[in-house]
Amino acid sequence: MILTPEVLAIFILNALFAFFGIIAFVLSVKIYLKWNLNSVSKSQYKLEKQSYLAATIIKYIFIIKVPLFLFFVFTLDKISNVLTGAMCGAGVVDATEYGIPLFILKIINLYIFAYWIVLHNEDMKHENQPFTKQKFGFFILAFFLFMAELILEGIMFGSIEIDKMVSCCGSLYSSSSTSAISSIFALDTTLLISIFYGVFLLMIFFYFIKNRYLFAISNAFFVIISLVTLIVFFGTYIYKLPSHHCPFCFLQSDYYFVGYIIYALLFIGTFYGLVVGFIESAKEDRDQNYKISLIFNTLYVILLSSFVTIYFIENGVFL
Amino acid sequence: MIELKNITKKYEINKNNVVIALQDINLNIKEGELVVLKGASGSGKSSVLSLIAALSKPTSGEVIVDAKHISKLPDNFASEYRRDNIGFVFQKYNLIPSLSVRENILLPLVPLNPDADEVHEKLQRVMEMFKISHKADAIIKNLSGGEQQRVAIARANVNNPKIIIADEPTANLDEKLSLHFIEMLRELKALNKTIVVATHDPLFFGLDFVDREIEMHNGKLV
Repeated sequence: MILTPEVLAIFILNALFAFFGIIAFVLSVKIYLKWNLNSVSKSQYKLEKQSYLAATIIKYIFIIKVPLFLFFVFTLDKISNVLTGAMCGAGVVDATEYGIPLFILKIINLYIFAYWIVLHNEDMKHENQPFTKQKFGFFILAFFLFMAELILEGIMFGSIEIDKMVSCCGSLYSSSSTSAISSIFALDTTLLISIFYGVFLLMIFFYFIKNRYLFAISNAFFVIISLVTLIVFFGTYIYKLPSHHCPFCFLQSDYYFVGYIIYALLFIGTFYGLVVGFIESAKEDRDQNYKISLIFNTLYVILLSSFVTIYFIENGVFL
Repeated sequence: MIELKNITKKYEINKNNVVIALQDINLNIKEGELVVLKGASGSGKSSVLSLIAALSKPTSGEVIVDAKHISKLPDNFASEYRRDNIGFVFQKYNLIPSLSVRENILLPLVPLNPDADEVHEKLQRVMEMFKISHKADAIIKNLSGGEQQRVAIARANVNNPKIIIADEPTANLDEKLSLHFIEMLRELKALNKTIVVATHDPLFFGLDFVDREIEMHNGKLV
């Protein structure tokens, strides 16, 4: 078990989240089963009061959980210093069998938590609270993923053995690796880059024709292709090393923490893109979400493309 | 205009101590009507006012104002409803003692962010109407009780609300000042405001411009 101040902080926060999350879950089940806004009965008024309490608890848990993802990544990076063989967070993720499932779950939850916050904000804009049942129903499902994340996080940090040798990112993210991630290196890079820019251009097209569903689908594809191309292609230009593909090292100070900006741009851009398709909001709000999505995705593409362009200008060749 | 349907209001202090403030109340108040709710302390008058103003929600039943189900409004919408529709006059005035008369009257306008001309026009209108213009820059704590009550009623009207709610408005005033206040109510009634006054002050009883006097006892309309 590893117990640094950062891990301890995560454990304490998780205990608080679990305590309040369980209260919110119990209330959410009651609200979901019995909510009837047209009723003027005692039980409905009680539910309305409880819905404020539950929504406030959930909102604050999720508002903290979303940026806490960055703290989790920072923690992985920080404890890589004490694990033999680890050069960055990648080694810590790979140190136990729970690391990768936890990391994937955290990324999925990031979108789920942010989606709930947007759904709640949309609900609070209307007098008749049209999304109340939907948002509490959604939380009931999200709660299980939320608790799974807390438990898995505890197990992962609990099962790290500091005296055990772990792999470094150089071996994990290479074509010779036996890890699951290595299969992406077998794909044709030119094809992947074409898909990356192609999906981005399609996204712009869907923005102009204002097709919200296709725009959301293109954003979902964009998350996947962005992460794949970041590892396979763009990362090498950030490191200026053709063999280094790690998606964690550029979170370090050596690379001016540029990774945090890259991931934040990708998350914000694609999240708002998905919101456009999933939430039936007013035209003004939807237009705003369209714009936020396109601006952040464009900044993401410009930022990553700039690493390649600068490298080419400096060296006259591609990697 | 204002409709209370089968209203029950309970205050649960703890599991074994539940105070029933209102029991199955039904009440209709028409637009432009002036209604005086009278009764002893604890009879439920203030609870009725707080429900009409969406300051609290009933335990069961429904409050409808202008066809809007205000007892079902979420808090943020209830605040908007109060801001746009209700003027309050309280027993203890609830003014900010360190601010001037002008600043206190302007407070309800702050969230609306109106332009300077509109602010000036509204301010002048209510200060003249309630004869407090000469004290515009005076600090509240230096005013008499009667003057403070005039500021309170000017503040309640600065947004030109449709409904005026007054909770024991003359409890801290002597008879002469109370009669002045009653004259101000007469003027507001002439402007077709809907007014609900909760009081046990006998000066309000039998007034020619009051449309209805409703007696309350133990949370029920008598």
